[in-house]
Amino acid sequence: MTSMTTTVTQTLAVSAQGLVKEFRPRGAPPVRAVDGVSLTIPAGQIVAFLGPNGAGKTTTLDMLLGLTVPDAGTVAVAGLPPRTAVRAGKVSAVLQSGGLLADLTVGETVRLIASTFDNPRPAGEVLERAGITALSTRRVSKCSGGEQQRLRFALALLPDPEVLILDEPTAGMDVGARHEFWDTMKTDTAAGRTVVFATHYLEEADAFAERIVMVASGKIVADGTTNDIRAQGAGRTVSVEIPEQDADHWIDRVRTLPGVTAFEIRGHRVQFSASDTDATALTLLRDLGARGLEIASPTLDSAFLTLTGKRLPDTSPPDKSGKTHNKSHSGATDVDPSAMTA
Amino acid sequence: MNTTYLTLELKRFFRDFMGVFFTAVLPCFLYIIFGAAQSWSKQSAGNGNVAMYIMISMAAYGAVTATVSIGGSAAVERMQGWGRQLGLTPMRDSTLVVSKMMVAMTVALIPVGLVYLLGYLTGARGSGSAWWISAVVVLIGAGVFSIYGLIFGFAFRTESAVGAASGSLVILAFLGNLFFPLSGTLLTIAKFTPLYGYVSLAKRPLTNGYIVNGTGGNSMLYEPLWQPLTNVIVWTIIFAAVAVGAVKFGRRRQ
Repeated sequence: MTSMTTTVTQTLAVSAQGLVKEFRPRGAPPVRAVDGVSLTIPAGQIVAFLGPNGAGKTTTLDMLLGLTVPDAGTVAVAGLPPRTAVRAGKVSAVLQSGGLLADLTVGETVRLIASTFDNPRPAGEVLERAGITALSTRRVSKCSGGEQQRLRFALALLPDPEVLILDEPTAGMDVGARHEFWDTMKTDTAAGRTVVFATHYLEEADAFAERIVMVASGKIVADGTTNDIRAQGAGRTVSVEIPEQDADHWIDRVRTLPGVTAFEIRGHRVQFSASDTDATALTLLRDLGARGLEIASPTLDSAFLTLTGKRLPDTSPPDKSGKTHNKSHSGATDVDPSAMTA
Repeated sequence: MNTTYLTLELKRFFRDFMGVFFTAVLPCFLYIIFGAAQSWSKQSAGNGNVAMYIMISMAAYGAVTATVSIGGSAAVERMQGWGRQLGLTPMRDSTLVVSKMMVAMTVALIPVGLVYLLGYLTGARGSGSAWWISAVVVLIGAGVFSIYGLIFGFAFRTESAVGAASGSLVILAFLGNLFFPLSGTLLTIAKFTPLYGYVSLAKRPLTNGYIVNGTGGNSMLYEPLWQPLTNVIVWTIIFAAVAVGAVKFGRRRQ
């Protein structure tokens, strides 16, 4: 290894090359959960792993944490092999549900995990940071899902890690708890900690990460800033209400507007994709007396759909027309691509 | 040694009221029924009397019940995600295993202490070495049996499996010559079961190797030392080998 490579490695929070992990369930064909993931994350970056369940997010994070050994590829965290980095307190994590002892109190759990580290942050301090000081004498079994997640966060802060990994930290929380959790996170990570979090909530990735790594079927399908990835989705869309009178004739007219590339009826509204959405909007308002006009920016969801042919689950409200969105995790066939054709 | 970890683990055990009750009270009850209350308890048995013979058996039963349940719970909590949480700490597997065994043996002290105290108060008599050596062997053997619970926990992954492991000890205790003296073919079979060698060794300072022949009235049989010793060694190796295989699954995602 050249000295230059060494220098580069030292500044990287995460360096993974060609990670592969297969699971071999008994009596079933092997599943390649992670299929050649290469990724470098510079120190201080906040990165979201975005993808549906089963995309390989957790398995990838497990390899960064030394909880799973890759079948192929190499991985270093803070320049060290994962297990060494964990022992040195350089990396820590908030794992998905499970993993707490129900019969301990919150404070005892923190003291117990703290006792395994050489120089942990004081228990009182991490409880304070996670916003659960008031819960310290409560049994874990009596804590809500959100409170337990804050406890896991407090545990992750104990070694004061350089790299913090969060595996779907807000799964199962209601909207309010989710916002509170991220507010707490923001306060703590302002200090330049590297944060890598997995999520299937678009708004989380959008609001908190400066970089989004999209994963699907064990592969990275996109990697960049939120705007980079948005740009890979379909363009802006215009939608207007369908008039009650003479609707069929009206639809025939708007269908053939110049510049319209896609056309979709959604309940009592019609949605256009167009090469110049401003011009389309103007025509609709001025010449066709359209009402209730809306222009929407492309969403990460549409980018994800474009990149993978799959919708992310649970990211948009149910369609008002009664047509259901694809909520299954891998059922690409549920999405009808022809719905967007002109 | 991580004393915080040990203290908190012991605290957890004492919070489980039912567990404490069965671990502490049941063996005492069994000793009184099979030992102290029986007419034969004052009869001589080597370096002491029959009451002491039964006292050692019941203390051993209580001790293994305690360690099997702790070993089993250790496995179950590990499978249910706690193993992954500990995987994010510098704690080594070996440290965890040693800590859990120490917790198990500390808890095993409760039934052993109580049954021995009860024995002393109700007429169990024996030489000083018979008291001390038997107690030490009971405790060490119970430590080994925590692995038995661990295997059940890893294999079945639920708290009820741990209950089943404790329950299976009743059968092993019968076959281990704990509850009443066996003879003939049953005794021969018993010598191959896991509790037999351990309890036989614990009683040896009292019996000098003579065991009660269940059908022969007061007749005694001499058992060469290699028999219980081989039993203990072979079963310890089997337990350890199976457990090591099981532990390897613990850190994977379930």
